[in-house]
This record gives sequence, structure tokens and C-alpha cells, in this order.
Amino acid sequence: MQPSDEELYRLMRKGNQDAFAQLYERREPALYRFALHMSGSAAVAEEISHEVFVQLMGPSTRFDETRGSLESFLYGIARNLVRVFRRLGPVAEPVDRPFDHDILGELIDNETTSALHRTLRELPERYRDVIILCDLEERSYEEVARSIGCPLGTVRSRLHRARALLSAKLKRLNARREVVTR
Amino acid sequence: MTCSQRIADLVECARRQGEPDRELRTHLSICPRCSERWEREEQLTAQFRAMRVRAALRTSDGFTGAVSRRESLMRNFAHIHSAKQHRPAKQSWGWALAAAAALVMAVFIGHEAGKRPDKPVSPAVRTHVIDNRDEPVLYQASTDASALSSDDFIAVPYTPPLAPGEMVRVVHTNLYPEALASMGMAVNPLWAGNLAADVVEGEDGLPRAVRITDNGQF
Repeated sequence: MQPSDEELYRLMRKGNQDAFAQLYERREPALYRFALHMSGSAAVAEEISHEVFVQLMGPSTRFDETRGSLESFLYGIARNLVRVFRRLGPVAEPVDRPFDHDILGELIDNETTSALHRTLRELPERYRDVIILCDLEERSYEEVARSIGCPLGTVRSRLHRARALLSAKLKRLNARREVVTR
Repeated sequence: MTCSQRIADLVECARRQGEPDRELRTHLSICPRCSERWEREEQLTAQFRAMRVRAALRTSDGFTGAVSRRESLMRNFAHIHSAKQHRPAKQSWGWALAAAAALVMAVFIGHEAGKRPDKPVSPAVRTHVIDNRDEPVLYQASTDASALSSDDFIAVPYTPPLAPGEMVRVVHTNLYPEALASMGMAVNPLWAGNLAADVVEGEDGLPRAVRITDNGQF
């Protein structure tokens, strides 16, 4: 049976490097994707997913198990870091940059995906969080509710509202595009 | 079932990439609004799938960077914890020094606090006390203050109020008029020589009230 995040964290605090490495391997990819969708920049996402672990092992960070899971704590750090990066200025590198020598990436790099990315970034944070965690990270409502610290019903209603907002915006964009192409 | 309830169902169905059930299909065939929403939800789900695939693929630069960042993190971790292992000896010295300093401070404060009642706090007043004090009479402020104030005692201005339950004592003494003036009290210029007086002192030794008992001077 695999140790929980919290057990790994306790071991890590005692100086166990293997526990830290295991925690990193387990959580870093999801944090990277979360930061990527939140920020829209691969470079920023790399920085953020790294910085989350720098902060986690720092002396000033004290995770309290009684207040929630380590995973939601990590997402919280990542969310704050996204805000910091956003305050620093516009992101130079867009997420929809074509992948070098990546046929699959080129295939899926279409206009709608780019528009969806932009629209997603324009959504209020509470809606963006649930879209990213539920639909892009494919987490259950229960997990997301724990992660963002709100009731399950709220997660569901926010997700439905967010999807409605997104699809309405995309519909407007498509309509505009059709007018331009005519 | 209303359209809004059906929309909740079709959103969940689209998210699961499933097929709508028979009832929902029937409704979609007759309700253009729900039908349009269903199409948009399906498109959205497909787009999210594409975004998931995309996010899972890190660029070659990003992947290399991630590997080097991971290594640097592990190095930092090892550095922090190896530094911590050497720290306890220093910390124990630090604690010992801090404890010793606290002990010295506590002894000093205790010593000072013990000396305080005997020490003249207001030299301007005490230097003018001529006689040795008679045996002082102890009163408790809460019970005696009103009795004192109604008995020709004059409150000494600008002194801190007595704490509830603080003991006071009345000292029979002789004062120069200047001493009364230095306490901020009105002095009759005709007064000469020493004045017999009762001085009410708090536990801190500060005078709180004075009564001139030398009636011949009035």
C-alpha cells in the first residue's frame, strides 16, 4: 500500500529525501498542468510547479493536516503563485505555441482550442478552478470539493455555470469568425 | 421534468462522453434549445480532451528543464537537511545561553522589585522629610480612602491612583512648606519652619495625600 501524501510529508520533514522525491513524482505533473491551464504559459507552469516544492520544503511553510489535505495545500500554493505571476505582467509565451517536431501537437493545435484557452483564462477564478480540476484534470466532485474547500453541490453548480459561460463565449467567437470568413 | 433539470443531466452526460438516455433523446428531438446546448457541451468535452492531451505533452525543452529542476530541488533538499543535522549542537548552546540570560534577568528584576518600597521614589519629597517616621499606620485603600479624604487630607496631584486593595500607610512627619510645594500643593507664603503633617503613602512609597496637623500655622 502506498503511503499517503501526508505520511510522505511527515517523512520529508524529518529529512527523508526519498519521501520528498516520491511526493514530487506524484504531485508535480498535475501541478504543472494546473498551472499551465491557469496561466496559459508552459514556462510559467514549469516555474510554478518547481516553486511549489521549493516552498514546501522551506522552513516557513507549515502544512497543518487538520485543516485539509496536502494536495489541496499544494494547489493553494500553486494558485497563489499564478496570481503572483499574473501581477508581474503579461505572459510572453502562449500555451498554444506549436510543439516542435510534435505531430500530435500540431494536429490538435487548432483555432478553437486556442480560443478555448483564452476564454478559460478570462473566466472568474472560482469557475476556472472547477473547470481545470473537474474537466481538465478529471477529478471527481468529491476530490475537487476537498481540494478547494467548498461543498460538493457548489462544485457541481459552478462547473455547470462555467461550462455554460464557456460554451456561450465560444459560440459568440464562432459566430464572429463566420462573419469574418464570409 | 423542466429544461433546466434536463440541462443538468445532459451536461453530466456530455462530460462522461456518454449517450443520452431515451427520455433525454426524445426531449432533445423536440427542444431546439436543449438540442443546441447538447451540441455545445459535446464540443466542449471534445476540446477539453484535446487540451488534456496537449497539457500532458511537455515540450522537449520543458521536459529537460523539469529533469534538471527536479535534480536541483533534490540537491537543495539534501543541503537543507544536512545543514539541519549540524545545527542541534549550536541550538543547545543557544538555548543554554538564553536560559542563563533569562535567569540573570529574573534575579535582577526580583532584586529590584524587593528593594523598591524602601527606595525613595520621589526624592524631592523625601529629602524634605525631617523626622524619622513614627510607626506607620496601615490602611487598606478600599476602606480607608474615603475616611482619609473627608478628614482634611488633601490629595497630592499628578500621582498614580491606588490600585484596588492596595495598602496605604499614614506617616506622621514634619515637612518644609517647600516640600508641599514640590508635591504640587498650594502653600501659604506665611507658613514658616516645619509643619507637622500626616502623609498617606501607597505601597510604592509615593505620597497620595497630605494633612497638615500643625494647626498653629493656620
